[in-house]
Order: sequence, then C-alpha cells, then structure tokens
Amino acid sequence: MSNTQPAAVASERTELKARKVSFAWERTPLHWVPGDPFSTHTMNVLHLLLPAGERWFIHVYRQVLPYIHDEQLRQDVIGFIGQEAVHSQAHDDVLPHLKRLGLDPTPYTAQVDWFFEKLLGDRTLPPGRARTWWLMERVAIIAAIEHYTAFLGDWILNSEALDRKGADPTMLDLLRWHGAEEVEHRSVAFEVFMHVDGGYRRRVRTWGMAFSALLFLWQRGVRFFMENDPSLLGGKASFKAFYDSGKRGTLPSTPALLRSIPRYLSHTYHPSQEGSTAQAIDYLAHSPAALAAEARMTGTH
Amino acid sequence: MALPRPRLRTVLLVTGAALLARRALQRRIERSPLWPLPALEEPVSGQSGRRSTTTRRLLITERTAPADGVVQLRLEGPDLPAWQPGAHLDLVLPSGLVRQYSLCGDPADPDTYTVATRLVEDGRGGSREVHAQLHEGEEIEIRGPRNRFPLVAEAPAYVFVAGGIGITPILPMLRAVAASGADWRLLYGGRTRASMPFLDEIEKLGAEGRRVTLVPEDESGHPDAAAALTGLAPGTAVYCCGPELLMDAVTAALPADCTLHLERFTAAATSPADSGAFEVELHRTGRTVQVAVGQSILAAVREELPYVSYSCEQGFCGTCQQRVLEGEIDHRDELLTDAERDDSMLICVSRCRGERLVLDL
Repeated sequence: MSNTQPAAVASERTELKARKVSFAWERTPLHWVPGDPFSTHTMNVLHLLLPAGERWFIHVYRQVLPYIHDEQLRQDVIGFIGQEAVHSQAHDDVLPHLKRLGLDPTPYTAQVDWFFEKLLGDRTLPPGRARTWWLMERVAIIAAIEHYTAFLGDWILNSEALDRKGADPTMLDLLRWHGAEEVEHRSVAFEVFMHVDGGYRRRVRTWGMAFSALLFLWQRGVRFFMENDPSLLGGKASFKAFYDSGKRGTLPSTPALLRSIPRYLSHTYHPSQEGSTAQAIDYLAHSPAALAAEARMTGTH
Repeated sequence: MALPRPRLRTVLLVTGAALLARRALQRRIERSPLWPLPALEEPVSGQSGRRSTTTRRLLITERTAPADGVVQLRLEGPDLPAWQPGAHLDLVLPSGLVRQYSLCGDPADPDTYTVATRLVEDGRGGSREVHAQLHEGEEIEIRGPRNRFPLVAEAPAYVFVAGGIGITPILPMLRAVAASGADWRLLYGGRTRASMPFLDEIEKLGAEGRRVTLVPEDESGHPDAAAALTGLAPGTAVYCCGPELLMDAVTAALPADCTLHLERFTAAATSPADSGAFEVELHRTGRTVQVAVGQSILAAVREELPYVSYSCEQGFCGTCQQRVLEGEIDHRDELLTDAERDDSMLICVSRCRGERLVLDL
C-alpha cells in the first residue's frame, strides 16, 4: 500500500469568507423547473436535508477546532463554518415558502432533524477514547458528504440545461451561490479529516455510511415531495425518472455520479483535483445575491 | 456432506410469511410514506424566526409628504407578518444600502406597512436615496419587522419624548395608549411646525387633558426634558426617540422609579469604537476579561479561550452566539430574533450598555 499524502492543487486554494446573501421568494413557483416536477423536487430535497445537515457540520467542527494545529487550516475551518451557517439559514428560509405553496415539509424535516441531532448527535459518551472516536467518525462522514456537495456544486454551476428550460432565477441563484461556495471550500473537510485522523479504513467505512444515508434520505425526500405535491395526481418518483433527467441535464447524470465513487476512495484523491475554484469565484462575482451582499457590507460598515 | 432437503411445508411457510410481511410493510409505507424514521419532537428546521436571508418585495402604493422634508411610503404585499408599536423595518435600498425605519402606520391594517423618513442632506445617503428614488408603483425589498422598542403593557402612566422624525415609532404607541385609556403625555420637539409630521392626528389624540406639548424650535426653543419628567407617578414608562442630545437629556433627567426605553438606530451604523470599555465575566471558565474601546468581545474572549467559535465577525453568520447570564446587551447584529436577544448575543459585534456582562462560557 502506498503511503503518499494526497497532493493539493495549490492554485485551487482561496480565502474563505461567508457572504451575507438574501433572497426574495414571492415569485418562485412550486415547480421552479417549468413542467418538470421530478427534477424540481429532487433538487428541493436539498432544502430538507441542508438546514439540519449543515447545522450539524458546524456543531461537529466546533468540537474539532482544538484538534487542529495548522494555522492556515484553522482559518479555513473558521471560514467554512460561517459559509455553512449561512447556507443552512438560506435553505431553511425556503421552507416557509414551500409551505405557503401548499407543500408542508415539516413531517420530513422533523425526521431529518432527528437524524442529525439524535442519531448523529453527541450521545452521552464518557470523555476519552469513545468520545474522540465518535468525533473522528463524524469528521470523516462530513468529508465524505462534502465530496458530494462539491460534486453537486460543480454540476449546478455547469447545468446549462436548467437555464434553457427557464428555471426560476432566484432558486437558481440560491443553488449556484451555494454550489460555488461548496466548490470554493471543497478541500476543507477532507483536509480536516486527513489532519486529525486520515485512516484509510475509516475513510472507506464512513464513505459507505454517508453514501447510503444520502441515498436513503434523498429517495425518501423525493417520494415525499412527489406524493404530497398538491398539484400532482399520483406523483411518483422512480430511478428511471432520475436516469432520464440526468440524460437531459436537469439533474446530475447517473454515470457521472457513479464515476465519482472510486475517485473518493482512491489513495491519491484530493478534492482540489475536481471542480474549478476560478469558475466558482467567477459565478460569485456575478451572482445577484452575492453582489447584493457585497453592496450591503460596504454600504453599512 | 449433503444438506438435508428442506421439507416442502417449511418452504411454503417461510415463503408465505415473507410475502405477508412484505405486503404489510408496503401497506404501512403507503399509508405513511415517511415511516419508520423517528421525528424530533420539537422540529428545528423551518421553524426559525430569524429569516435573515429572506427579503420581501413590497409595492409602494402611496407616497405622501406629511411634513416639509418628510416622505411617507405605504408598502403593500401579501401575508405580511404582524407587528406591534415600536417595530421597525430594514429597507434594502436600490443601491444595496440597508436602512432601518420605524413603522408608523396602523398595526391592524393588514398587508400594509407605512414608514416615514426625513431627508438628511449630509447623512449617510439612505434618506437621500429614499427621497430621490422611491416612487409610487415601484418595488422595494424589506426585511423584518423587528421590535427593539416594545411598548410595555400595564404601566401606570406613559411619557413619550420625541424629537423630529423620532416621532415615527411613538405615533403607533400614542394610538395604542389612547385607545386603552391609559394616562399618557407627549413632549414633541422639532425645527418648525411645518417640519413636524403627524401634528393633526397627535393633537386630536391628545385633545382632552393637555397631554401634548409641542415645541417647535423657532417658536419655543428646545424641549425641556427635565420639566416633562418631574412629578411622575412611580413606575411610569418613559419612551424616547430622537437626536442623541435629546436622549442624553432624558436619560439624565429620569426619576429613579421610572423605566426608560430608548430607540437607537445603531445596529448597522456604529463601529465597536463607538462605545466605551467594559468587562466580561466568563462564568464557566471563572475568569474576567477587559474589553477595550474599539475591541470586540470576541477578540477579548479569544485571548482566554482560543477555541471559541466564530466566523464572519460582522454579525450575520451567528456562529459566535453566546448565552448571557447578566448585564445589559447593546445588540448590533442583524441576525437574532427579539426572543433570542433576551438572553443571548453575537459577541463579534454586540457590546454592553453598562459596565459588565456575564457570559455562559
């Protein structure tokens, strides 16, 4: 087994800072990808998972800060925490709008809350080995999840099919601002994991956990939305619909998703090898929400 | 060694049981698609009152001039949150500037917010933009409302002191106390009668019992805060909104047994340098740190606790929120809800009104 440290691509590094974005949702319709409720709801699942999920990231990273002895990584983690906090809040703020449109997400989000706060919460562990083990396990799970958020971020920045289809500009801006920041900070979670633990067996094990949990929660979320959508009669979600949407480009393609699996498990993997920081920063330089945030910060301080 | 062949009956039984179980499971899931994951008893997601990343687009349906140099805007939109006297809105102006304006309309008027602003030529640009750029039929983005100046119920008497445009948060309070039949008085100063908005309505509200004292500067000089605050019943609630000098005068003249409520629009306008030094006790750590003028609480706390959580350092990400056990907080963030402000603060931007804070750290 080779013992080489995975190499970061230096040019992909950027300073991380949270942006104070805001969105007005009044004009966003329920099916914000026009005529495509399945793609809409598959992406809507993000609003169900991310508020609780990203709150949990922050909860875990607060605890891991004392284990980080590299000053630059520490600064990255601090920037990462702020970006995740605003992501969580921004997706959370979509939920009341979904409710107004007749699709109350609370039954599902209450389960996601349980999943992250209880199942993956601190548990009452004695200080010492057990507690550290559980912390490291969760740090590794976050690294695996961030592999997929970076994959999705890269996808949404390049999803021209959604523009062609006339997807709602506000929702697209939310997803692309979020996606761009995920691409910006895609190396942080992996570097934290490599810094505090980095065990390959743990990486494989937690990848398996994270991947199956995401798959489980996601398919369930899509089914929940399709079945409870007040404007759909007998709405159904299926793998075939996902595969076909991937081919059309309104969702990530299944082959691309499958190809990303061995990459994460490769011994030479480093997140900076995937996606483009330059593209992310370029989007953030044009994103209406990010621009407004910029104006606000310079305007009021 | 050959395995014993299972008997046909066993095979049938197992298959049958499996089929039954599968059908039962499918039915259960059909009845409730989210079975069998437990739910958090008190859901968190989607329940937050912060809504810090949400703005609303409201239509400007009316622009009037209630006094010289004052513009009043009526904003309308669907399903607007309710508000109480003293509340204010954040207006996100076309340039991206955010400014806070008190609601001066009627809380009972649904789907409508009313704000009034005075043009300040040498101000920071917010009022100029409102006066020059916001017209009937246009849209404006808002956040809020929030209330940091709430009207306390059941005070034995109320005294309101307003200077100029500082009348805006007071006006809905006057209507509320007048309607409730409570004992109240108003001292209202301004440059000239023509520049003081809402005079007609205020005089009507105070028609009986000489409740209102109007002090236009060109006729009667500056309002006498000390005279207005003498001979008050114990427990009288004093509300003041206006120029810094007026608020200082009211603070200085306040009788010991009365409560003072000040409205300062400082959240986005001040820097940490604008307030004095104070000390912060870290309750769980058992240590006390000094916060200097121009230094944030966060910076002072980090010297003792290097791992304390923070990120944006500008009062919007919320990761430095800490519980406050004692002391009067000077909130300067733009995130926390009014309820959260009761016992917590963002230590990166918020400060202390007095000399000491006790944090649960």
